[in-house]
Amino acid sequence: MIQVKGVRKSFGKNEVLKGVDLNVKKGEVVVILGPSGSGKTTLLRCVNFLEIADDGDLTIGDLSVRFKHATKKEILRVRRRTAMVFQNYNLFNNKNAIENVMEGLVTARKVPAADAYATAKKELDKVGLSDKYDAYPSQLSGGQQQRVAIARAVSLNPEVILFDEPTSALDPELVGEVLAVMRAVAREGITMIVVTHEMSFAHDIADHVVFMDAGVIVEEGTPKEIFTNPREARTKQFLDRILLKYDYSI
Amino acid sequence: MGKLFDVALVFEYMPVILSRFPVTLLIVSTSIIGGTLLGFLIALVRLYRVPVLNPAVVSYISFIRGTPVIIQMFLVYYGFPLLLLQVGININRWDKLYFVLISYMLNNAAFMAEIIRSAIASVPAGQTEAAHSVGLSGFQTLRRIVLPQAFFTAFPAFGTRVVNTLESTSLAFTLGILDMLGQAQAIGVRTYHLLEGYVVVALVFIAASMLLEKGFAWMERRLIPN
Ligand SMILES: Nc1ncnc2c1ncn2[C@@H]1O[C@H](COP(=O)(O)OP(=O)(O)OP(=O)(O)O)[C@@H](O)[C@H]1O
Ligand SMILES: [Mg+2]
Repeated sequence: MIQVKGVRKSFGKNEVLKGVDLNVKKGEVVVILGPSGSGKTTLLRCVNFLEIADDGDLTIGDLSVRFKHATKKEILRVRRRTAMVFQNYNLFNNKNAIENVMEGLVTARKVPAADAYATAKKELDKVGLSDKYDAYPSQLSGGQQQRVAIARAVSLNPEVILFDEPTSALDPELVGEVLAVMRAVAREGITMIVVTHEMSFAHDIADHVVFMDAGVIVEEGTPKEIFTNPREARTKQFLDRILLKYDYSI
Repeated sequence: MGKLFDVALVFEYMPVILSRFPVTLLIVSTSIIGGTLLGFLIALVRLYRVPVLNPAVVSYISFIRGTPVIIQMFLVYYGFPLLLLQVGININRWDKLYFVLISYMLNNAAFMAEIIRSAIASVPAGQTEAAHSVGLSGFQTLRRIVLPQAFFTAFPAFGTRVVNTLESTSLAFTLGILDMLGQAQAIGVRTYHLLEGYVVVALVFIAASMLLEKGFAWMERRLIPN
């Protein structure tokens, strides 16, 4: 179980997160929606301590920390229970696909290299890249890079994987392969928090949908509640706009 | 005095002058190795904005970049002994070569610091964030992800710096170091044939810098993946 309570974050005078609460049950897929600048990325980054929140608490399983008082050790412990998939993939440019997956296992977790190699192979096979073990990021398409990144995240066996718009940087024809891999990850029962603008994907995969605007959670519920029967005007407006823009039907 | 320029003398002087080439190599290698190590520390001070040290190294770098090497050498040669005498260390009897080595090393440290700092800064922040997200510590991230990538970025500038150092070592003879130029000078004073010696020195420098450039280009092709 992951619990975020009262997280606040400002950049200078700009208050980006104004007290956000989020509860995610084990094995659940939570999709976060919201307009640009609403604080979705910042929220994920705070959970992974890529930003240090000004206030709030985080609980992952039996580990509880206060964001602003977290020690280096606690931050490392949180990061070992979480994994992140970035919009721009952020594969290690100096490492090939299999080394990208192995790095966290071997260097951070001290898994013996042979075991890490076997795990990395298995995870790359699962995302359909059994022929790309030795390929460097520059030799892979965006879709392939993102699939390596997902394999890297899954291999760490985290309690939650955070996805920040994993398909936004991809050419349209490559979006499908990444979403397919994410569906498979969800089916494995891995807890996921996903920021995405892919509405039909969100509708299919989410157990719980959260709509954020201007640093607060405006509305949350099941996909059915949010997509077919939003209560708040802001949610409705956002959905109308985005469905029009991307021309999706649900 | 005979002929103004005697080609035969070029061949005659070549081995004598070439025998001083190790001095040049010594200055280049120690100043590059020492300069790189020191420069790396300075780069870290700048990147992590270490209090107190950071402003100090910033002034140090602009001082080195803003003054001619020959001035730096004189300052080290005449200034260092005075400075150390204040704390009771007498280095007046040191071989001049040590002062030259120190000057060139201090000079290269500043240039290497800038090369290393900008190479490290050019590694995208996303690389560090991804490393953190898979659980690497700050030091592990630096060693396994950032530095290897920065190395490839820095490599061409590093090669250029080595060649520049090679050229600039010829100033060492102004302190009376018997390097190639010092040897050519000595021969000239004795035989009144200065030009032939200078031609030899020029030829050796051309050959050495071409070799170095080719070597670095080759290493760049070999080392840097895709
Ligand atoms: N490092 C930073 N420094 C200053 N301001 C920042 C920083 N990161 C984010 N912000 C600001 O915080 C606000 C929220 O940004 P955030 O990236 O969390 O939004 P988002 O919901 O992810 O938007 P998008 O859909 O465009 O990705 C924006 O106004 C942004 O300009
Ligand atoms: Mg974002």
